Amino acid sequence: MSVPVSQMFTVATYVLGQRFRGRTRYPLVLMLEPLFRCNLACAGCGKIQYPAQILKKHLTVERCLEAVEECGAPMVSIPGGEPLMYPDIDRLVAELVARKKYVYLCTNAILLEEKLDLFRPSKYLSFSVHMDGLREDHDEAVCRDGVYDQAIAAIRAAVARGFRVTTNSTIFDGASPLRMRQFFDEMMGLGVEGMMISPGYSYSKAPDQEHFLRRAKTAQLFREMLTEPKRAWRFNQSPLFLRFLMGKHDFECTPWGNPTFNIFGWQRPCYLLQDGYAATFKELMETTAWDNYGRKSGNERCQDCMVHCGFEATAVHHTFSSLRGLAETASVTFTGRL
Amino acid sequence: MSRQGWTPEIGPGLTLAEVVDEAFDYRGNTTIVRRDGAEVVGYVFNRNAAVPDPYLQYFDEAGEGPFTLRYAEIATIKFTGRDTAAGNSWKAWVERRERERAEAARAGRLISGPDSSGRDPDPDGR
Repeated sequence: MSVPVSQMFTVATYVLGQRFRGRTRYPLVLMLEPLFRCNLACAGCGKIQYPAQILKKHLTVERCLEAVEECGAPMVSIPGGEPLMYPDIDRLVAELVARKKYVYLCTNAILLEEKLDLFRPSKYLSFSVHMDGLREDHDEAVCRDGVYDQAIAAIRAAVARGFRVTTNSTIFDGASPLRMRQFFDEMMGLGVEGMMISPGYSYSKAPDQEHFLRRAKTAQLFREMLTEPKRAWRFNQSPLFLRFLMGKHDFECTPWGNPTFNIFGWQRPCYLLQDGYAATFKELMETTAWDNYGRKSGNERCQDCMVHCGFEATAVHHTFSSLRGLAETASVTFTGRL
Repeated sequence: MSRQGWTPEIGPGLTLAEVVDEAFDYRGNTTIVRRDGAEVVGYVFNRNAAVPDPYLQYFDEAGEGPFTLRYAEIATIKFTGRDTAAGNSWKAWVERRERERAEAARAGRLISGPDSSGRDPDPDGR
């Protein structure tokens, strides 16, 4: 696994602190969406399907920072939309780094190379580049030819300048395990710090539900992809989450683990589902009917979901819940065997 | 199926709360018709029917807001704006791309394939 020791330490002390305080529901990663606007129009992406006046709006840096303070999570992921289109992205990132938040700036990398000068390398900042597979697979996923090559060039440039760079891949139905293994080789060959992978998102408003992986099929796909992992592969996520994807754990969703804030407010209940908005983080945590979500709830929309924003926090929580969880995580981390 | 163009009539078979839920799910602007006859165009992004005085929230057509409107003030909601989710599915894109590839392949054959005389224009296969 490739998460830096300082980040692991920060997360570990944060989670243990929450447990020490007796908190059962706490956020791990704030999903901060300063805008929905994007320079791609990937089919099925529910984030960009809004009227023009909504796509033109964005949060102020001050409002973003208020949300970060309210939430208190040690990590902030900035998706969108395309965050590099946010006019104050440099100031926002600098403020977050100054607050010692571990920032994942999720980008399709089309603008990354030309905007690198806006940022300074830091252990707190990682560019998380959206890469859904090898050239043909990725360009098909983002519905535009040439994006893969742009992203590769940007990754090389960012790595050369000392930035932390990770990749973020959504694995869709029909993905070839063999091609994904080749993709892992290719990404590690670029010098990225690590990779993040997750099954396809299942937005309730995305019109292509039929393309998202069902649980059993997902486990089979990830087993084929991750069995006998190469030593060179590094994953920037909890090893227990990867084992969950391979069907080796049966976790329940932690929808409050990755709370989402955007121009509409605090999204209920999670990054994927939009059942409404709360005005404050406190209101989100206290008034969301959490029991109505997750597989055990019987909520139809949660039945096939295995996405990282719901289960990565569960995996982390599991690590620190028992010596067994800790030992399992340590074993996978040090041996690399999933 | 898109609700675009829908002008619901609130009545015994359709409650205002149901129409508000549809508007909340709709990815386009709607026209909210108030009980006093006034109309406002905007994007409904939130609603709460679980409180004593249910309300919805919207940004208007200029992006100003958020504004809050109580259900009690609303007569109906018309789905007047373009549904930005309609026709943008992954499936539609794949089908479109396959169609384009097939057309390109056919066009390529017409250009580089055997001519009308039956002779191969590129006998060496270059």
